[in-house]
Amino acid sequence: MTVSEVVQVDGHIIDSLILAKVLDVIVDAGADYRMVDVHIGRTNVDSSHARIEITAPDGEALAALLAELQIHGANAVAQGDAVTVAADMDGVLPEGFYSTTNLPTQVRMGGHWVDVDNPEMDCALVVRPDGRVRTVPMHRVYSGDPVVVGRTGVRVQPLERPRGANPFEFMSSEVSSEKPKEQLVARVAERMKGAKAGGGKVLAVCGPAVIHTGAGPAVADLVRAGVIDVLFAGNGFATHDIESNVLGTSLGVPLGDDLPPEGGHANHLRVINEVRRRGSIAGAVADGYITGGVMYECVKHDVPFVLGGSVRDDGPLPDVYTDVVEAADAMRAELQGVAVALMLASTLHAIATGNVLPAGVETYCVDINQAVVTKLADRGSHQALGIVTDVGLFLHTLIHHLVL
Amino acid sequence: MCPPEHFGVLYEINPWMNREVAVDLDLARSQWGDLVATLTEAGAGVELLEPQPGLPDLVFTANAGTVNRRRYVPSRFRHPQRQPEVDYDVAWFEANGYHVSWLPEGVRHEGAGDALPFRGVFLAGYRSRSDAAAHGPLSTLLGVPVRPIELVDPRLYHLDLTFCPLDDRRAMVAPHAWDSYGRKVVETLVPEPLYLEAEEMLGFCANSVVVGSTVVMAQCPRRVGRLLEGWGFDVAVVDVSEFLKAGGGCRCLTLALDVAIGVPGEPPPSTGTSAAR
Repeated sequence: MTVSEVVQVDGHIIDSLILAKVLDVIVDAGADYRMVDVHIGRTNVDSSHARIEITAPDGEALAALLAELQIHGANAVAQGDAVTVAADMDGVLPEGFYSTTNLPTQVRMGGHWVDVDNPEMDCALVVRPDGRVRTVPMHRVYSGDPVVVGRTGVRVQPLERPRGANPFEFMSSEVSSEKPKEQLVARVAERMKGAKAGGGKVLAVCGPAVIHTGAGPAVADLVRAGVIDVLFAGNGFATHDIESNVLGTSLGVPLGDDLPPEGGHANHLRVINEVRRRGSIAGAVADGYITGGVMYECVKHDVPFVLGGSVRDDGPLPDVYTDVVEAADAMRAELQGVAVALMLASTLHAIATGNVLPAGVETYCVDINQAVVTKLADRGSHQALGIVTDVGLFLHTLIHHLVL
Repeated sequence: MCPPEHFGVLYEINPWMNREVAVDLDLARSQWGDLVATLTEAGAGVELLEPQPGLPDLVFTANAGTVNRRRYVPSRFRHPQRQPEVDYDVAWFEANGYHVSWLPEGVRHEGAGDALPFRGVFLAGYRSRSDAAAHGPLSTLLGVPVRPIELVDPRLYHLDLTFCPLDDRRAMVAPHAWDSYGRKVVETLVPEPLYLEAEEMLGFCANSVVVGSTVVMAQCPRRVGRLLEGWGFDVAVVDVSEFLKAGGGCRCLTLALDVAIGVPGEPPPSTGTSAAR
């Protein structure tokens, strides 16, 4: 992961070639720079100043480079400690609060840089009594919480797309439908295996199209095989998954060869109704009403799932969070340890998940529609790699490469 | 200058120093006396700093600080052995009516040893003894542009072992001692350089004192002598071998008080020349 620091160099830095030397030293060290500003002295004794933002491959390289630059008079710009102001109301941030990104973030306190525990975009930074710093969404701030204000003493580390043989490198361009899918999916499978081997979790975010396109059994296989560790979805996905298992249709349309049955449009309502009668999806599984499918496998294998509701939901299923704030909090609670996120044919849940994911989570957004991936990136999830293809085809190929 | 009453190699802070090499104090006194006599004969006036026991290097007054007109910036020595010299240096300059301005704490600069005036600027050495971070403040305090030169040879730890201004256009220069940027800076600044060979440089040729048209040197290789005389300089050789044992030559034993560059008092006018940057 790359790290950055701003250095300042003062004096007669142009004629003495010090500026040129400093820039050369940076490049020779394998680092990159950006001129933040340059002020060139006008008179004989006016000195010149330049501030240079240096980006190095890692912290060690940066420290070595900063030590070398210091010899030539270029010093890291002295940063003050972060400033905090106590929140004066529950659920309301102090004016001028620092609004977070999803990038790895550090806060300077007592002269030391402290990592923020859980990077998440569009949150505030709250300093805990034990000195740790957490991102906290606006509604979870309580009166008296010390909230970081302004930009002083806060720095973010730009995220580099991971190096090495990975799909990101393979897909050096942005999302495109004109890429060979087979190798791409094979590499996603490799990355997932690598993440799992390193103790990371895989999160799947599923839209109802996963069921409509007949890919439900593939997702169920991945849950059963222990590949998927966490599932985020909505009322629609869970409903159609159960509907397809209980009645063989998805939104009334048979997933086999049959013609649509009479009154099939109400199938999903009948399913929701029966699950509600049993109190929960787990209850319906225990009762023998649900005997297969993604939700069934989640219950059977203790894979946590969060179903976030929306205004247009039918029912909804009893497990659905109807309070969106609670839904987002429930999602946050399940993110610990997630290393790979698969966004499968989902627009709204993918964006909602993107909002709470740290930028370090490798995110693969699979959709037949290129716009979904673009949307995700536009909302700040720049780490998402888009794969434009049918989600059913993607999952079958993925399973093939995971050798399940 | 400071008489060598307490001179000796009592510690080792540069590659020339070796405590096992004894200094002949009587010889040192007589060599130092010869140097004073030669400088005086060449037309220089010599002011004296009182020697202090326990401060053997006080004799190297080039490191007392940096002077421009009546402004004096005391040194901030890298080595603790030399740091106590500063009080005596400052006392002399205060007693003689100089305006004393201090560099910020934490940056090191070893005076005229690492800051030589030439064509309206101070060339300033750094890395071995002085910090590049000192140059900004030094420039402000003295009202003169400062151009840093990185010193890359530990044997040539001060700029005054590698650069010797002769007059307004000429200087003895030792590019081997500098990095490539420093060489370019000097090349741009000095219209007529006398390039010293490595041997000549290590023979302290650049550590000479120039008084008018007289160049006072610890030794003078024939080649250098011919070139200097070709330019109209008289060469006077003074044996300072006892002081070379401590890594200091003629120039190290002196501090020029007649430096006057830039415009007195107020900051120099806006000229917009290349010297501005």
